[in-house]
Amino acid sequence: MKQNPYGAMRRLILACMILVPVIPFIFILGIGYYYFTTSLETSTISSMEKIVEDHRQMIDSFLRERKANLEFVIQSYSFESLTEPMNLRNVLDRLQKQSNAFLDLGVFNEEGLHVAYQGPYKLAGINYSRQEWFKEVLKKGYFISDIFLGFRRSPHFIIALTKEEEGEKWMIRATIDTYMFNDLVKKVRIGKTGEAYILNEKGIFQTERRSGGNIMDSELDNINYYPLQEGMATFIRKDVKGIEYLSAATWLKEKKWLLIVRQEKSDAFRALHSATYLIVLITIVGGAAIIGVAFYLTNRIVRRMERMDAQKEELSDQLIRASRLAELGEMAAGFAHEINNPLQIMKSEQALIETILGDLKEEGKLKESKDLSELEDSVNQIKMQTDRCAEITQAILKFGRKGEPASKDVDLRNFIPAVTQMVAKKASVHGITLRQEISSDTPPIHADPSQLQQVLINLLNNAIDATLSKHGSEGGEIVVVAGPEDDGKVTISVSDNGCGISPDNLKKVFTPFFTTKPVGKGTGLGLSVCYGIIENMGGVMRVSSEMGMGTTFTIHLAASI
Amino acid sequence: MEKMKLMVVDDEERFLSTTKKLLSRKGVEAITATSGSEALEKLRAHNIHVVILDVKMPGMDGIATLKEIKRLFPLVEVIMLTGHATVESAVEGLKSGATDYLMKPTDIKELIERAEEAFEKRQRLEEKIRVAQTRLFMKSPREIIRETE
Repeated sequence: MKQNPYGAMRRLILACMILVPVIPFIFILGIGYYYFTTSLETSTISSMEKIVEDHRQMIDSFLRERKANLEFVIQSYSFESLTEPMNLRNVLDRLQKQSNAFLDLGVFNEEGLHVAYQGPYKLAGINYSRQEWFKEVLKKGYFISDIFLGFRRSPHFIIALTKEEEGEKWMIRATIDTYMFNDLVKKVRIGKTGEAYILNEKGIFQTERRSGGNIMDSELDNINYYPLQEGMATFIRKDVKGIEYLSAATWLKEKKWLLIVRQEKSDAFRALHSATYLIVLITIVGGAAIIGVAFYLTNRIVRRMERMDAQKEELSDQLIRASRLAELGEMAAGFAHEINNPLQIMKSEQALIETILGDLKEEGKLKESKDLSELEDSVNQIKMQTDRCAEITQAILKFGRKGEPASKDVDLRNFIPAVTQMVAKKASVHGITLRQEISSDTPPIHADPSQLQQVLINLLNNAIDATLSKHGSEGGEIVVVAGPEDDGKVTISVSDNGCGISPDNLKKVFTPFFTTKPVGKGTGLGLSVCYGIIENMGGVMRVSSEMGMGTTFTIHLAASI
Repeated sequence: MEKMKLMVVDDEERFLSTTKKLLSRKGVEAITATSGSEALEKLRAHNIHVVILDVKMPGMDGIATLKEIKRLFPLVEVIMLTGHATVESAVEGLKSGATDYLMKPTDIKELIERAEEAFEKRQRLEEKIRVAQTRLFMKSPREIIRETE
């Protein structure tokens, strides 16, 4: 089987058409995506870091202010005066006016005895000397505790300060409202899932975490924040639930607490996701457009090439046909010319025989007999057949004839009736109606009148033969139509209602020596000569036919104006 | 009346001999030549009125022979016999001085008819010449005597 020669070319064009735009397209999108995401990530992370830093400062300053409040109290009052319940009450009131984070206030002596207490719990008189925070305060002078339960069995944290007065140490302690502190830390809001919380050194929640994590629970996410010494760290990690978080962590300055702000990664990089979706969309739509256009253009190009090749092939076929026809014509002409010489001799010999026979009969040397008349018949037959040969050679010579046609402007409005007149007698004898429909605006054409006449007479004679074979001597009709075309051409057609031509024969009607007429009635050259003449005039001759309905020969010629 | 003398020139000898027999049976006196040069020789030796000349011959072809005949014997009428059905070769012959043309294969009757037409033409021409010469004679017989001398 023959492979489609356009397949490989189609694939090549298609590949080029797709690859050439797609490669830079992908590169641009890729590079754009890379820089865009990088810058977006950087800006997201740096804004996260900024939030953490601001938040840390706020929490630090809160703790520092509360410490300063207590510092002021311990410096302003003596142990004696503070242990007075009325004074202590006044001091707490004043502290609470400064910040409602102060929940209660207590005074301790050096032994750890809770000497005086103002607040919602009954804690006066309890000895705290064994408590961890108490030891720390004695050692360092001040202390901020982690969240713990203590004697009141409720999570809280305390700020405690100590003072030395006349060789005796005493201290004050204030409880910070856990809920208030909690709210303070929690109030950071970034996007939908942004949250802030504090962990102590052991990874215990010091404030509530919105996405789950109660105060004093252990953080279970197994994130090792603690190598971090100073400054800030940002990282993207999965928590126990498998959700990825963008987290930023920093140590507080006032207390060994770790402040963590985190946001679900998908939330933090929401813009990034939209960008990604957009890029994917552009890639798909753009890619589809490129591929679509490539297919469309390739199809057009290949179809056009196919059409051009087909035209080329047709043209070269025509050329081959024409040159073959010319060769054939030349050969036939040479052949006919050579045959004419022996024909001439044969004809002379026959004439001699005839003359001698006539003379002998006249002189009475030959008597009339059956043999004699047979002989005469035979001699006549030789004459007839020689004449037939002569006709064929004449036709061949006409077919192979070369030379310049004598072209001039022919007015078809007069020319066609004149030509039709030549066959009118023959047509009427056979009972054929011969009609002419010649448009009055038919322009003149440039042609050799004798050649054009030859063509028309040939077509008319063929039409007469065709109608005769179908209708006999009644009912035949031949119509000659002439008129201008839109494209500056003139159409002449000869139609008959005769026997028609079978589709097989229709292909061969213009082939030299093709004839359907009985032996001796046609040379098969008439139509091929006509075809050649019209082609020489730069025209086209076509035929259409339907078996049993009739045949139409159409000639298209260029108008001379 | 003077009888027509015909010469047939063709390279086919059989055609010549048969045609000669036929012509003599029809009462036409004819001689034959197989080539252009032979035709010219015979024209010198015989008084020939009409030449039937084949266009295509080996050696000197019909057209060349025609031109030579017309140059040497302008009064001889020439009928071209052509194997080509083309008008072109006939036209060329007519332009070079041929009286008429016949197409091969030609009928003997037609050949005789055309030859006689040509002969009549020649006779008319000779008649005119004779009349013209007579007038000259009437005008100045002495000059004619001088010319003949």
